[in-house]
Formats: sequence, structure tokens, C-alpha cells
Amino acid sequence: MSGPILAIETSCDDTCAAVVDGPRALSNVISSQASLHERYGGVVPEVASRHHVELVNGVVEAALAEAGCGLADIEAFAVTTNPGLIGALLIGVSTAKALAASARKPLIPVDHLLGHIAAAYLDPEPAEPPLLALIASGGHTLLAAAEERDGFEVLGQTLDDAAGEALDKGARLLGLGYPGGPAIQRQAAGGNPDAFSFPVAMSRDPGLDFSFSGLKTALVYIAEELGPDAVLGRRADLAAGYEAAVVGQLIAKLGRAIERREPATVVLGGGVAANTLLRRRAAELCEQRGVRLKLVPVELCTDNAAMIGSAARFLERIPYPDYLHLDATPSARSAA
Amino acid sequence: MTVILGLDTATGDTSVAACEGESVLAEVQIGPGANGRPQHAAALLAAIERVAASAGGWERIDELAVGVGPGSFTGVRIGVATARGLAQARGLPLRAIHTTDALLVALAAGADPERDLLAVLDARRGELYAALQRSGSPVPGDPGLATPDALPELAQGLTAPIAAGDGAIRFRGELEAIGVEVAADADPVHRISAAGLCIAARRVQPQRAEDVKPLYLRKPDAELWRERDGRN
Ligand SMILES: [Zn+2]
Repeated sequence: MSGPILAIETSCDDTCAAVVDGPRALSNVISSQASLHERYGGVVPEVASRHHVELVNGVVEAALAEAGCGLADIEAFAVTTNPGLIGALLIGVSTAKALAASARKPLIPVDHLLGHIAAAYLDPEPAEPPLLALIASGGHTLLAAAEERDGFEVLGQTLDDAAGEALDKGARLLGLGYPGGPAIQRQAAGGNPDAFSFPVAMSRDPGLDFSFSGLKTALVYIAEELGPDAVLGRRADLAAGYEAAVVGQLIAKLGRAIERREPATVVLGGGVAANTLLRRRAAELCEQRGVRLKLVPVELCTDNAAMIGSAARFLERIPYPDYLHLDATPSARSAA
Repeated sequence: MTVILGLDTATGDTSVAACEGESVLAEVQIGPGANGRPQHAAALLAAIERVAASAGGWERIDELAVGVGPGSFTGVRIGVATARGLAQARGLPLRAIHTTDALLVALAAGADPERDLLAVLDARRGELYAALQRSGSPVPGDPGLATPDALPELAQGLTAPIAAGDGAIRFRGELEAIGVEVAADADPVHRISAAGLCIAARRVQPQRAEDVKPLYLRKPDAELWRERDGRN
């Protein structure tokens, strides 16, 4: 049951398509809308949906061209059906269904978070389950255990903001750009992370869930106390302290999960996994515990369709015409 | 003669038809579900496959047509994304039609040719989308966004005007008060007929799939707020 899979991902603000053949991503095209949403300080669902519908066919075309194949060569079609912005998901689902039905080929609905984990199952050096995965991005913060490639068990999630969202909000408070992760990282490079004390939230909580809202509140108070001029002057220290606190919480929970599950492999993925400090601290932690660390390549960390195609390889294929009624809801798979 | 498969999901209905010239080969119209919500996402592609099969199979379909709105943003996007995907996969030409054109075709078919026709869709938020077709003119007007206060001006100087569409039902009181006739609520003329869309489609040129875009007539709320706040 092999052969190239065409995958489409439109769950948030990136319009993505990819062709995946076994563990190889033959193409991975991402049309980012980040600069469009920058002016709103965050992703606007209606704006995202308007762009997806205009871009998606061209992105599919580009993914096919880059992979050197045509629609006729595709064995199955994969698409993110949940979770995400419903209006945005529907563009990908409608497109994938139309393409699959026209070719009378199977369709594979994919959970976006499973996709982030399955990015680790792609070349180079694909990871092998059982494994522990930390997925941190602007939309999600997930600590998961995967025994098999077709699913995962949620160990911990954020109770409020996602890690990347916390970085976005911190960046906004400090007058840095959007998206916040790279902006904070650039600013933090010249700062002292210990100059200000940020609470390492949830550090005493024995669970594996995350919470970042207290951190943001702490930054608001510190900024208020300093006043705008001092904030500007000490932005590097503030950014460094804030970044270290976000990363610190992620690492603390990851360490605790490693203790409990004793995995052979840890996967670090999601957009925030591109953060240098997080990568370094995760590497130190894993070396200390004697665990193999699989860093998902940066181009597969942010939302992309290659990861969706990768996950699809291990999931059930819905044959034509059984998916014609498929909707983009969390219950999509059982409804099919 | 060219066989066109047309679809529209701008209103609560999911409408699909295949026509050869003016003759309807197959037509499906699915209303909102039990919860009152449109069934576009779940019903559209299955309806398309059914209509294509009834019309003699996809081999018989020469072209596609899609209603690009105005209407429900999400509904229109499901229709446009599906139509573009089908056109891309099957290499078929795609024609973009205003959803109001389908209403005007249906109105014209049943009304005295001397009468002026008005397509009115419910734009929510107390507003409406309206398009006018003057008697004797073969070309429908472009739809616009308006408040009900603007109706008297819109209807001024019209000859025995008659209106159809979910907005005509919604604003029946306002329309009738200014002398515009509105058919009974249950009259099928108020619903989008994809057969009407196919017939209207013959007036426009086919486009490349990626050039077919929804017609919103309204900016995203975030954009309106941004403009209002004067932020950049
Ligand atoms: Zn994601």
C-alpha cells in the first residue's frame, strides 16, 4: 500500500501542500500568511480563510511540480480535519475531497497534532515509537506518548495560552514584532535571563499540564513598575528572562514525563521547537537522562503538509465514495 | 450542446444541477439540517457526484459553474474550493456566477417580461445583498450590500417590481411597503436553483480555476475594526 500521498493542511494561517512517498517528503510547499496577520497582532480566522481559498490550488500545483508528479500519480489524498480554525480547515477538506473524488482515490483524514508528531517519522533519521513528544507552537503545547505510529496519548496540555502564544504576547508587551518567538529570541540574545525574576509556573504542580498566563501577567507587572523608558532600555534582559521562563516550564515538564515514561526517544517539534534555547536545554536534558533526542528539522516544525502526509501513511484510508460526506469537525473520523 | 454542472452554497441551501442549454438533466437541492444550519460541507460533494451520475456520468460534463456569492462567507468558500478542486483535477473550465444571477433567472422565467426584477439575499446583521435586472435588459446588475433604509431609493422608478431570495422574505415588510411584490415564503423562487445558475453561466466566460474567487462585498470584521481604530 505505498505510492505517493498528496497532503493538504489549512488548519491555521499557512496554506500547505506536500507529496510524501514513504518516509521521504518529495515536496513541502508552505504559503505563509504571517506577514498578513502581523498587522492584527495575531491570526484572524476570516482573513486566513480568505487567503486559503485563493492560494490552495496553486500550492497543490507547486507541491506536485516540485515532487515531479501529476495528480494521476497520487495514490491517496490526506488532509487535516481537526483541530483548528473551522472555516480554514474547511478549505483544505473541500479541496482534498474534490481532488480525491475526481481521481476515485482514497482520502485520509488526519489529526493536526498527530501530524506534528509524525513529522518525526520522516527522513532524515526517522524516529521509532515508542516515544515521548513535546510539541510546542503558537497554537498548541502538547506532551504526548506514542506507542504506535497511528496515534498518541495526551500526557499534558496547556491550560491557557500555548507556548508560542505566550511568546507572541510577551513580544507584543515588549514592543517587538510578530510572530513573537523569533523576535524574543533575537532580543534575548544580548540579555541576562537572571536580571528579572519570572515565576516558573506550575513547577510545584505534579501534573504534566502547562500554564503560561501567569508569566504574561508577571511581565505586565514588571513593565508597569519599570515604566516605558526603562522597559525599552532593558528589553534584552526582559526578553531573555521571559524566554527562559517559557522554555524552563517546557523543560521541567518534559523532564518529569521522561522520569515517568522512561522513553528511549524524545521528539521535539512544533514551531517553538525552532527556538535555540529550547533546543539546547532539551539536548542537555536528554543527554543527562540517556535518552535519544529527535529534533524535528525546522522546515517540518512549523505547520506544514509533509507531516500530515507522514501521519497519513499509518492511518486508515477511506475508499471512494465513503468520504463524500466528510466534514471538518473533531468527530470527522467517526462520521466518515 | 455544452453540458454545465453548476453548484451554489451561498445561502442555507446546497444546490447542484446539470444542464444542457436550458434543459435540466439533473438537479439536487438540500436545505439546512435539523439544527437549522446549512449542510454545505457534508452534502455538497455527494450531491455533485449524484448529479453528475444522473446526467450521464462525468464524461458528459463539459464545464463547471459556481455561485461565488454574495452570501455566507464560509458557505461560498466551500462551494468555490470544491469547484476549483474539481476543475483542477478534471481539467474543466470554470465559470463564476453571482448567486443573485440564479435568482434573477428564476424570477425572469416566471414573471411578465415588462416587470423589473430584484434579487435580495439576507446579509445578516440587518443588512441585505441586492441585485437589479431591469425589464428588457438581458444583463443582470451587479449585487451590492445595502441597509433596508436604502430600499426605497433602490426601488424608485421601477416597473411593477418583484423580488425573490431569502432577503426578500426577511425584508418582506420593507419591500411591500414600497410597492415591491414578494412571492409567498414557501415559493421555490426564493431558493437558489443551480439550474438557474447554469443558465446564467452561459453569459459569462470560463476562467482558470485559480482565478475564481468568492465575492464577499464585506471586509473581515478585524479589518473594519482596524480601520475604525485608525491602527495600522
Ligand atoms: Zn500546528
